Amino acid sequence: MHDRKDRIAELGADVIFVACDEPSEIREKLVADVALAFPVAYDPERASYDAWGLERAPWWRIWLDPAVWLRYAKLLLSGERLRGGGADTLQLGGDFIVAEDGTIAYARPQRRDDRPPVGELLREVERLTTRE
Amino acid sequence: MSSSKGPEIGDPAPEIDLPVLDGGRVQLPPEPGRPVIVSFLRHAG
Repeated sequence: MHDRKDRIAELGADVIFVACDEPSEIREKLVADVALAFPVAYDPERASYDAWGLERAPWWRIWLDPAVWLRYAKLLLSGERLRGGGADTLQLGGDFIVAEDGTIAYARPQRRDDRPPVGELLREVERLTTRE
Repeated sequence: MSSSKGPEIGDPAPEIDLPVLDGGRVQLPPEPGRPVIVSFLRHAG
């Protein structure tokens, strides 16, 4: 998305990212070494996630994923302790486009690892901004 | 899994009023006349 900043500006659109982690975690894990082109809001209580109907992954999808176990094994081996409580590791995301009149023009809540390509989002914004 | 139902196409977008990493707040509804891409990130893991 950051690579398309100029095109998004040409279209007269805005972008908001919302993360469900604490600011320190977002800086460490999501936006480290990235020059932020768009605002990244944080909502650890996930009130906005609830308001936008975003789902939590079923627990078995997380805990039967070998990559998750590998990640935890690496953490333990590096001397870190597993953290309990706080963040919701099952929380999924989603992508939406809000039209100029404040209504939803595009909705793609995440079901699994299926985020839409940025090009698809831009095509929808182009459609909105070029319609008569 | 949450059974909450999100907004559908044509529905008014739910309001957003949240703090931003670099300071300040971000709010929705948007500035009139500007479409907004709203991208909710999954848990950082």
